[in-house]
Amino acid sequence: MSVGWLQKSLLSALVFLIWIGPVLASSNSTIIVGSKNFLENRLLAEMFAQLIEAHTTLTVERRLGLAGTQICFQALTTGGIDLYPEYTGTGLVTILREPAMRDPSAVLNRVRSEFRKRWNLWWLAPLGFDNSYALALRRDRAHAFNIRTITDLVRVAPKLKAGFGYEFIQRADGLPGLKQLYGLQFHDVVGMQQSLKYQATENGDVDVLDVYTTDGRLAVYDFVVLEDDRQFFPPYDATALVRGAMLKRHPELGQVLSLLTNALSPKRMRELNLRIQEQGEAIPQVAYDALHTLHLVKEDHPSSTATIKESTSFLSYMWKRRATLMVRTGEHLGLAGTGLLLGIMLAIPLAFILERWRTGAETMIRFIGMSQTIPSMALLAFMIPLFGVGALPAIMALWIYSLYPIVRNTFSGLRDAAPTVVETGRALGMTEWQILRSVRLPLAAPTIMAGIRTAAIWTVGTATLAAFIGAGGLGVPIVSGLQLADVNIILSGALPATILALIVDGLLGWVERLVRPRGLEASQ
Amino acid sequence: MTNTWDLEAWQLSKRFPDGTYALQNIDWSVKPGETMALIGESGSGKTTLLRLLNRLAEPSSGEVFIQGHPATKQDPITLRRRLGYVPQDGGLFPHWTIRHNVCLVPQLLEWPIDQQHDRFNTLLPLVNLDPTQIADRYPIELSGGQRQRVAVARALAADPPIVLFDEPFSALDPLTRHELHEQFLALKTTLHKTMVVITHDMAEAFHLGDRITVLKDGRIHQMGTTQELIDTPATPYVTSLIQHHLAQIH
Repeated sequence: MSVGWLQKSLLSALVFLIWIGPVLASSNSTIIVGSKNFLENRLLAEMFAQLIEAHTTLTVERRLGLAGTQICFQALTTGGIDLYPEYTGTGLVTILREPAMRDPSAVLNRVRSEFRKRWNLWWLAPLGFDNSYALALRRDRAHAFNIRTITDLVRVAPKLKAGFGYEFIQRADGLPGLKQLYGLQFHDVVGMQQSLKYQATENGDVDVLDVYTTDGRLAVYDFVVLEDDRQFFPPYDATALVRGAMLKRHPELGQVLSLLTNALSPKRMRELNLRIQEQGEAIPQVAYDALHTLHLVKEDHPSSTATIKESTSFLSYMWKRRATLMVRTGEHLGLAGTGLLLGIMLAIPLAFILERWRTGAETMIRFIGMSQTIPSMALLAFMIPLFGVGALPAIMALWIYSLYPIVRNTFSGLRDAAPTVVETGRALGMTEWQILRSVRLPLAAPTIMAGIRTAAIWTVGTATLAAFIGAGGLGVPIVSGLQLADVNIILSGALPATILALIVDGLLGWVERLVRPRGLEASQ
Repeated sequence: MTNTWDLEAWQLSKRFPDGTYALQNIDWSVKPGETMALIGESGSGKTTLLRLLNRLAEPSSGEVFIQGHPATKQDPITLRRRLGYVPQDGGLFPHWTIRHNVCLVPQLLEWPIDQQHDRFNTLLPLVNLDPTQIADRYPIELSGGQRQRVAVARALAADPPIVLFDEPFSALDPLTRHELHEQFLALKTTLHKTMVVITHDMAEAFHLGDRITVLKDGRIHQMGTTQELIDTPATPYVTSLIQHHLAQIH
């Protein structure tokens, strides 16, 4: 079957490409910089990356936009990334799960000693600004209710609707802690994307929002930031959190990053953030400018010039980004393809074995079916402690997902394949192996292919989420677009992903028709 | 004594998992070259007896002899390739051409391709089919009667001395069935094979069989020629069968 060989070699090539990345990354002279999935964090990470590239011979690999504190932290402890920008208060309350303290030095010392002791992770010197959570309102509403502090807010809160970020709603140093300390109770709390909250508050869709104190948009929107009069929020000094092993192996890393000690003020951060948020400038460019202003990089240092946010037509945007999109599509196919291939290699033999020894087969298949009930995002997250971040955990999760439809269909296909015909073959003197190869397998082939086709669609679709754990793929523009609230960017990932799914479905539908034996009715 | 029979059963029994008997202490025999019709209702054990002959099932007790040798001492695969078999709906492989279907056993026996093709071309006219017309067709393209004839050709392909038929014509309409009866009788005269034909139709049993075995609830009620059954029915059940049959013809 020449088609089968072609597919196999294409897939092998893709697998190789996907694997060569991590293999290269694990070589000694590569540093992996990670970030959370909000803009300032990405900006800081990009500044770290460019600084390292400019002042050392190390290669930097970026795994930006990981879905939250816990994922970043786990990636760090497992070596999936080597450093990322973190805030002292977050380290204290969210990671160490200790109660907040008020003194910035105390917080820094505490996290420094604990992180070094427990995980060999080092907090470098603070960058010079504190980016705290705060609550804010439209100025006219704040005046109408005469609110200046959070205690004032408590009075009025039962009448108000709040739009908060997802992490804020869950973190101990977020909403739950606020409730406990202040007795804060809202009429309604809605979870929202960071980029949408400002607009929603401006429109009056929500009354209160959580903000970062270095958020650029605070300068643009007429909001009042409430005073934390009972000092609930701990200090959040920003700095780099680095793996001790990496610092030891490359001492220049620590020296270079310390160039940023106290280099960034809150005002400066707000300006930089504003450029990205409102003016749509590309993060690498803004990072470069920031470093350049600090005289930390030379004039001729290469930087990306593509502006992310432009009010151009969708098609011209896609055309401009075509190189990146091709790479993303290739990554996406590699992830989905590898996951599917592994699924086929495990599921089909397994189904054969189960069909042969029927006892407990149904139970086993149902057990495998349980994997389908796990939400995809959760499954991806489960893989991180085992496999780090990047392509590997994504492929593992996709592998698990692809098993059930293939096992189920292969099992049923074999079991139900024309039993009278099978019996006749036996009666005429065919061995069980001959019957399997010449009768049961060809008759079951269409059903088996249908299972593979289903699994293929699922893996292509689920692979979009792989972006959240740094695996690349067409989910990356979707995630970026969500953060910037830019429909063009979102579509530049979503549209190819959909088209890809349709192509894969069509292609496998053609294969399904190919493997259908001649002489069988189409409905069989 | 065993040499004079092609097929024999000695005190053959087959029990279901729940303990009841599909066949109980059967003593049975078929002469070489004779056609034995096996008649009975569903559940009478006739299909079980057939399956014990080609070792699709194993006896609980007793023995089956094929051409004088105990069936259990022979390799089941080799044994089955020496016995022709025609199931109820023909059992043709739907994904194989007619030629491929008919040549199944010769292919299993590793006959040279030319020999297989020659055999195919010789066999099909025997069942009134044109080999050039249907060799590369698929079973789905043929009528029920044609499929059944192909199934018979397939059973005869390796020229087995014994052929087993499991209700071969019951799925066909009366006209086609009549036509196939005629062809069956023609084959009988030409080929001189030992044949066992299961049927639930008394008329068919009388028409096709040299001798008839009447089965009920796992036991043989009578084994004999048409005349013997009509003149001297051994049990009331046989009597009722004959009366019912005679009433139908008149």
